[in-house]
Amino acid sequence: MSQTSEGLPPVPESPTEAAVAPVSATRTDRTKSLFILPAVVWILLFTIFPLLYALRTSFYSFRYGKINQFVGLDNFARLFTDQNLHSGLKVTLIFVTVTVTVEMLLGFGLAILLNREIRGRNVLRAIMILPLFATPVAVGYLGITLYYERNGPINSLVRLLLGTGSEIPWLSDPTWALISVMILDIWQWTPFVFLICLAALQGLPQDLFEAARVDGGTGPQLFRYITLPLMTPILFLILLLRLVEAFKVFDIPTSLTLGGPGRATEVYSLFTYRTALRFFDHGYAAAQGFLLLFIVMLIVSLLFGRIRGLYEYEG
Amino acid sequence: MQQKAITLTGRIAVGGVIIVALLWVLFPFYWAFLNSIKNPADTFQPTWIPFLQFQPTLDHWLSELAIPEIRRALLNSTIISVGAATLASILGTLAAYALARFRFIKPTNGSLTTWFLSQRVLPPVVVVVPFFLLMRELHLLDSVWSLVLLNATFLLPFPIIILSQMFRELPIELEEAALVDGATRLQIFTRIALPLVVPGLVATWIICMAFSWNEFLFALTLTSKSAIPMPVIIAGAEHTRGVQFWFVGVRVLLTMLPPTILALMAQRYIIQGLTLGAVKG
Repeated sequence: MSQTSEGLPPVPESPTEAAVAPVSATRTDRTKSLFILPAVVWILLFTIFPLLYALRTSFYSFRYGKINQFVGLDNFARLFTDQNLHSGLKVTLIFVTVTVTVEMLLGFGLAILLNREIRGRNVLRAIMILPLFATPVAVGYLGITLYYERNGPINSLVRLLLGTGSEIPWLSDPTWALISVMILDIWQWTPFVFLICLAALQGLPQDLFEAARVDGGTGPQLFRYITLPLMTPILFLILLLRLVEAFKVFDIPTSLTLGGPGRATEVYSLFTYRTALRFFDHGYAAAQGFLLLFIVMLIVSLLFGRIRGLYEYEG
Repeated sequence: MQQKAITLTGRIAVGGVIIVALLWVLFPFYWAFLNSIKNPADTFQPTWIPFLQFQPTLDHWLSELAIPEIRRALLNSTIISVGAATLASILGTLAAYALARFRFIKPTNGSLTTWFLSQRVLPPVVVVVPFFLLMRELHLLDSVWSLVLLNATFLLPFPIIILSQMFRELPIELEEAALVDGATRLQIFTRIALPLVVPGLVATWIICMAFSWNEFLFALTLTSKSAIPMPVIIAGAEHTRGVQFWFVGVRVLLTMLPPTILALMAQRYIIQGLTLGAVKG
């Protein structure tokens, strides 16, 4: 725990206790606990307990949703041979890689482009916040009407631009269906990257740029040697946040395509959900959950190490 | 001379990008609106302009809003999101203040923050089974309160991260002076620090409210009839009647509008909050 905590940007220690009039140690301790314990206890209660429960579940087989018998590590062994699970994992990895990459590039690029005095930037910022708060399930169902293949708005536009017969099978073709799911996720989350990058860009020390410009630095040079290094830690943090959320993806593929056609858009969470609540194979579903948790933790800790390096270099 | 030409093209390019971005973001909302006011036959046609290309109607809005299940779902969603946001904000604000103003040694402030933040790493599908079994044991299946509790838990990192940063940025002198004058920590917190972070508190409350309004996986798993919130109502539309674009339009908007309108109203503070959470968290 203390190992990973160093990965965070340095937390300025509050000088209060050192600076303030003497208060007896026990009283301070009691006050401190009063503030922090409710949240700590709450989280322990509602995450640690279910995790332990899930761990126990994962050692049992289930029949009709009732515990059947102890099976040891059988549920975990199944993880290695289950083709459908592997397909779900593959779909998720493709989804995460593509969406997060596009969202980072598009969001950062837009922020760079619009980080200047432009009329209407505030309106744009206000509107960009909308997709972030749009209910993902609703976005998925809305997608069904947007991607409607015969006469939907998108294919009408495609037909207009490329001629009749060039309509795209958005939801009926396996490859296009995955692309359709990814486009909706990109629609929803690119604004998040954009808004945070824009705010961060505006917080950069302007005198550095002035000085560089006086020294004859060109636009690309300023970007390469000032903007990019200063933005790197923030970009890594946004990347981390997006990665963590993208691995959990469930709502949009469930509502837009129900995992289909075939298993083309059946992401990991949807597969696990079906294992648990369609087939009531709770033990196996729990084992699947732990595999996902393990994968996400692995990626987070790798990235965290990288972020720590950046912050130490900087500070 | 050349410099000026570049700026002009640059301006046109930037303007073009802004227009494309706006259309890209807004079009889905507009399309949902169109579907919701089209007659069933018109929804399958690529028509874009009401009155000119088709005759708009409010029938679907009226008939959808008359459905008891939908009214109840709106009420359920309100209870769940307001309850979860309030609970998470209370617990989170207290913890945030502690992290900003006290020094913890074992575990340290840094590891406590990381631990709170790490709750977001846990994929909900990992705990969905235990919660389902647990709520079944407690006879809390199909109850809005189970969803209030769960949403509050998974939202807790937001107020903690955002508000601890805001508390840290408050000048400490006021609080020190009050301490010297004999005020208790609780008094200092409620009378001095809390009023100063109200904008941040409102922003985090809205973020939490919107995210719990939008939450789908737990809602789908733990409700079956009387506690069903809006996101599950949309998902159910398909089973009973096939995808009927006009009803989808109404339901999609009914579901999306409350959180998006709230976010729009508080957008300045929300952007600040999101940025504090991400950049300095």
